Amino acid sequence: MSARIATLVLFAIAFVTAQARVLNLGSDGEPETLDPHRYNLRLEETLLNDLFVGLTTFDVQGRVSPGCAESWRTSEDGLTWTFELRDGLRWSDGTPLTAHDFVYSLRRLLDPATAASLAYFLYPIANAEAVNTGKLPTTALGVEAIDDTTLVIRLAAPFPFLPERLMYPTGFPVPRHVIERVGDAFIKPQHWVSNGAFVLTEWQPQAHVRMAPNPNFFAARDVSVDGVVYYAGGDANTAYNRYRAGELDTIGGFPGNELAWVRAHLGKDLRMSPLLSIMYLVFNVTQPPFDDARVREALALVIDRALITDRVMGTGEVPSPSFVPAMVEDYTPVPYPHISLPRAARLERARALLADAGFGAGKPLDVTLRYISGADTKKVYVAIAAMWKEIGVQARLHQAELKVHFADLRQGNFEVAQAGWFGESHPEHYLGLLESGTGNVNYGRFVDAEFDRLMAHAKTLPDRSARLAALREAEARAATLFPVVPLYSVMIRSLVNPHITGWVENPRNVHPARFLGWQ
Amino acid sequence: MNDATKSRLRHSFRAPVVRAATGIIAFVVLFAALAPSVSGWQYDQIDWDRIAEPPDASHYFGTDAAGRDLFTRVAMGARTSLAVALLASAVSFVIGLPWGAIAGYIGGRIDQAMMRIVDVLYALPFVFLVILLVVVFGRNMYLLFIALGAISWLDLARIVRGQTLGIRNETFVLAARCLGASTPYIVKRHLVPNVMGPALVYTTLTVPGVMLAESFLSFLGLGVQEPETSWGVLIADGARDMESSPWLLAFPAAFLAATLWSMNLLGDRLRDVFDPRHGVGDRPRPGSL
Amino acid sequence: MLAHVLTRLPILLGTFAVIVTAAFFLMRLAPGGPFDDERRLPPEIEANLRAAYHLDEPLPAQYLRYVGMVLRGDLGPSFKQKDFDVNELIAAGLPVSLTIGGIALAFALILGVTLGTAAALHRDAAGDFTIMGFTALGLALPSFVIGPLLGLGFGVMLGWLPAGGWGSARHCLLPALALGLPFLAAIARLARGSVIEALAAPHVRTARSKGLSRHRILLRHVLPGALTPVVSFLGPAAAAMLAGSVVIEQVFALPGLGRYFVQGALNRDYTLVMGAVIVYATMILAFNLIVDLAYARLDPRLRVRS
Repeated sequence: MSARIATLVLFAIAFVTAQARVLNLGSDGEPETLDPHRYNLRLEETLLNDLFVGLTTFDVQGRVSPGCAESWRTSEDGLTWTFELRDGLRWSDGTPLTAHDFVYSLRRLLDPATAASLAYFLYPIANAEAVNTGKLPTTALGVEAIDDTTLVIRLAAPFPFLPERLMYPTGFPVPRHVIERVGDAFIKPQHWVSNGAFVLTEWQPQAHVRMAPNPNFFAARDVSVDGVVYYAGGDANTAYNRYRAGELDTIGGFPGNELAWVRAHLGKDLRMSPLLSIMYLVFNVTQPPFDDARVREALALVIDRALITDRVMGTGEVPSPSFVPAMVEDYTPVPYPHISLPRAARLERARALLADAGFGAGKPLDVTLRYISGADTKKVYVAIAAMWKEIGVQARLHQAELKVHFADLRQGNFEVAQAGWFGESHPEHYLGLLESGTGNVNYGRFVDAEFDRLMAHAKTLPDRSARLAALREAEARAATLFPVVPLYSVMIRSLVNPHITGWVENPRNVHPARFLGWQ
Repeated sequence: MNDATKSRLRHSFRAPVVRAATGIIAFVVLFAALAPSVSGWQYDQIDWDRIAEPPDASHYFGTDAAGRDLFTRVAMGARTSLAVALLASAVSFVIGLPWGAIAGYIGGRIDQAMMRIVDVLYALPFVFLVILLVVVFGRNMYLLFIALGAISWLDLARIVRGQTLGIRNETFVLAARCLGASTPYIVKRHLVPNVMGPALVYTTLTVPGVMLAESFLSFLGLGVQEPETSWGVLIADGARDMESSPWLLAFPAAFLAATLWSMNLLGDRLRDVFDPRHGVGDRPRPGSL
Repeated sequence: MLAHVLTRLPILLGTFAVIVTAAFFLMRLAPGGPFDDERRLPPEIEANLRAAYHLDEPLPAQYLRYVGMVLRGDLGPSFKQKDFDVNELIAAGLPVSLTIGGIALAFALILGVTLGTAAALHRDAAGDFTIMGFTALGLALPSFVIGPLLGLGFGVMLGWLPAGGWGSARHCLLPALALGLPFLAAIARLARGSVIEALAAPHVRTARSKGLSRHRILLRHVLPGALTPVVSFLGPAAAAMLAGSVVIEQVFALPGLGRYFVQGALNRDYTLVMGAVIVYATMILAFNLIVDLAYARLDPRLRVRS
C-alpha cells in the first residue's frame, strides 16, 4: 500500500516537473498574425521574437546584439552596410539559411502585394519606398547577397540606427522554400518553418499559441525550457486572477489599483520597469486658438505632471519634462522651457500668457480634450481638466474607443488629444512625429520651417554622435513652440513567478523565452 | 381609469412591501435631487489629498480613482440613469406594444412581415446601429435614450404578439368582432388592456439592461462624457477596482439593485391592477392550488 | 409541421438576405476603417492594404463579391486576424459558445421556470419575496460584476475551479453560471407573472373544481398556457446565449464567438462581423421559428387556427 502511494507520489512529482518546464505566459492579447512582415502589434513582436531571429537581435538586457549576423561594418559615407552571417545557419526543417533568404525576405516585405503595414520601417534602404509604392520592381531594392554568408544593404541616406531597426520582425527572414510551395499558408502550424529558438506547434484563436524548441536554432544549447504557451484572451483583471490562481507563470500587467496589494502579498513576483515611451498631449495647430504658441504654453505649464504620476496614477510612471524620453541611449533630452518652475510661478506665467492671447474672465478659453476609453486613462484626463480649470480654462472631456480616437486624430478632427509613442532608442524616432513631411501621424499638423531644416540637416549625418547632437538642436527648437505636452513614460508592472530565471527588466520590455528558465 | 381600477390601486398600495418599494423609489429620487447640494463637494471637484479612499466623515461614500466625491457622483449618476430608464422604457413601450398587438391580431402576411422586420433588427450589429445613429443625429444624450428604447422594443413586441395570439380567439374578442367593431377598436379596447400585464412586467425587466447598455455606449464614447456620469458607468468602473476599492462598486450597485427591486415589484403590482380579468376580491389566494 | 416549416422557408431566406444586405451597408457607413490604428500608416501602404482586401472597389461591387463568396460558403479572410479566414475563426469559436450557452440555457430555463412557478404558488408569502429579491439582484448585477466575483471566489480564493481559460469541463461551469444568471432571473419573473394569471383562468378553476390533483393541474393546465411569454422571450434569449457573450468571454478568457460582434465591430473587421452576423441571424431565425411552432403546442387555442 505504502509502496503504491510512493509510486503515485513519484509519478506526481515527475508529472509536475515535466509540466513546469513548459512555461505558461500571459499574452497582452490575441496576435493578429504571426507573419513577421504583416505584423502590426507590440504583443506580436513578443511572440515573433521567440519564433524568428533577424540579422540583429536583443540580448537579455534588451540591447542590440548580433543575431543571424555575426558582425557588420559600414562604409565611410554611411550608405553601404555589410553583414557577415554566422556559419551553418539552418531553418527549423534543416534547410540552410543563407544571405539569399534575407534578400528574398526584404523584397517580400517591401513588395506592394504583401501589403505590409509596417513596411516603412525599412524605407531607409535604397529604393525601398519606390518598390513599396510599385514604382520600381522588387529587384531594384538596395539589398544584395555577395555570397551565402555576406549580405550588403545600401541606403538612400545615412542612417546610423539601422542595426536597431533590423531587430524588428519586419527585418526577419521568412522561409522562401516553404512559401513557394504553400503560399500564405506558411504561417499554419502544419507548414511552420522558422529560424528562432522556437517553432509554432498550435494556435487556437483567442485561446493560446503553443511553441516547441527549435533544435536547429543557432543557440539551441542555451534554450532551457521545453516549450512555451502564450495565453491570450481576457482583460487585465482576468489575467491577474489567472496568475494568482497559478494558471499563468508571467503576466505583463495587472490593474493599477492592485499595486499596494501586490506589493504586500506578491512582492517577490512583482517586477516594475520603466518603458522607453512617451505619453503626451497633442495640440491641433490648425485650429485657433491652438495656432497660438502662448495658448499652448499656458495649457502645458498648468499641468502638474508629478501630481498626475505620483498622486493620481500612483503606479510609478516617470514624469517627463521633454518630448524625447529620458531613457533614450547616449542622449540628453531638452526639457520644455519654464515647465520645471515652481507651481506658483507656472500658474502666474500661464495666466499672463492667456491674458496676452486675449483670454480671461470675460472670455474664458474653451477646450475639448479627447482621450481613449479606459479606466486607467480616464482619471488622468479628468485630473488634467481639473488643473486647467484653475486658470479659468473650461475643458470638455470627450472619450472614444481607440479606433475612433486615432481615426479622428489622423483627420485632424480634434483640439487637444491624448497620444503616445514608444519603440526605438534614438531621438529621431520621436522628433520625426513633428516634421511637416511626416503626414497624418503628425496629428497636430505642426509646421515649423526652422525645425524642419534642423531635422533635414541631422539626417545627412552618418556619424551617430554628430547626428544625435544635431537632433538635440532640433529638439530644442521644437520645445520653445510647445507643439505637444510631454506627460510621462509608462511603467511596466509585470508579475513573474519567482521560479522563473533569466527574466531581466529592460527599457524595451523584451523577455524572449530563449533566456528564460525554471528553477 | 374607472372606479374599480382606482379601488384596486388603493387596495394594492396598502401592502407593506408596496409601501417599502414606493419609499425606496421616493428616496432615490430625493437623493438624486438633493444629495449634490448637501455633500459639500462638486461632482467634478478633485480632492487631491484623498484619491480612491474609503468612506469617512467628509466623503460619505469615499472617493473615486480621480479623487472625486462618490456620494455626489452616485446622485448625479442617478439623474442620468433614471432618465435613461424612463425615456428608453417609454419609447420601447410606445413602439413595442402596438407593434406586437397589431401583428398578433391581424396575423397572416402582415404578421409575418412585421415579425421578420423584428428579426432583421435583432440580427443587425447593435454597435454599428448606435454608432450610425450618433453619426446621423449628432452626439446628444436624449437621442441616446431614444436609440436604446428603439432597440429594446423588439423583445417586447415579440412577447405582446405571443400574448395576442392567445387572446384573439377568446369569446369576448370574437363577440366584439361579430358586433362589427373595427380592428383599431378591438386592438385598443380589448387586446391592449389584456396584454398590458406581461408587457409591464417585461418593461421592468428591460430597465437594468437599458441602464447597463448605456454604460457600454459611454465606453464607446457615445454616451455620457466625463465628468457627467451614470450608474452604469460607475458600476463598470467600480467592477474593475472591486478588490482594491470595493466601495466604488458597492454603493452604486446597491442603489441600482434597490431601485430595480422596487421597480420590478411595482411593475408586478401595476400588472395586477390593470388586469381587467381581476376583480378586487377575485385574487387567487396564495397557495390556492 | 414539416409542411409548415417548408412554407416558411422562402420568407426565412428572404429575411436572411435582408439582414446580410443591411448589415453589410450599415457597417460601411460607420466612420473609421480596419486600418485606422495607433501606429503610422503611410498613404501608399494603406493603398496596398486596401487593394489587397478589395476595399478600393466601389461599394456595390464589393457587395456582389461578398454575396458571391457567401453563396460559395466562403466568408472571406479576416481583416484583423490575418492568419485565419472567417470560416476557421467561426469553426473554432462556435463550439465554445454553444457549450457554454447550452449549459447556461438549460440551467436558466429549468431553474427559472421552477423558481417563478414556486413564487407564484406562494404569492405574497416569504418564499415569493425571497425568490423575487434574488431575481432582482440577478438582474441588477451585470455579468461584468458577477463574472469577476465568481472568478475571484471560486478561482482565486477557493481554488475549486479555473479562474479562466478553456480546455476541460471544469472550465465551463463558472462562465455558464455567470451567463445564465440574468436570463434565469428574467425567466423566473416572466413565469411568475403568467402563472399567477393562469391560476385565475376559467379552465384552471374548472380543473380545480373537478378535483384534479395539484400536480396534474399545474403540469397539464397551468404551465403550458402560462409559458408563452417565457417562450417568446426564449427565442432571442437562446440565440443571444448560444452566440456567445463578449463580457463573459472577456472575463473568463474564453475563445468563443461573442467577442467577434463587439471587438470585430470596434476593429472594423468587416468580414468577421459579417460572419458573426450570419451565425447570429441563423440562430435568431431558427429559434423564432421554433418558438412559433412551440406556441401551437403550448396553447391549445392556437391549434384550432392551424
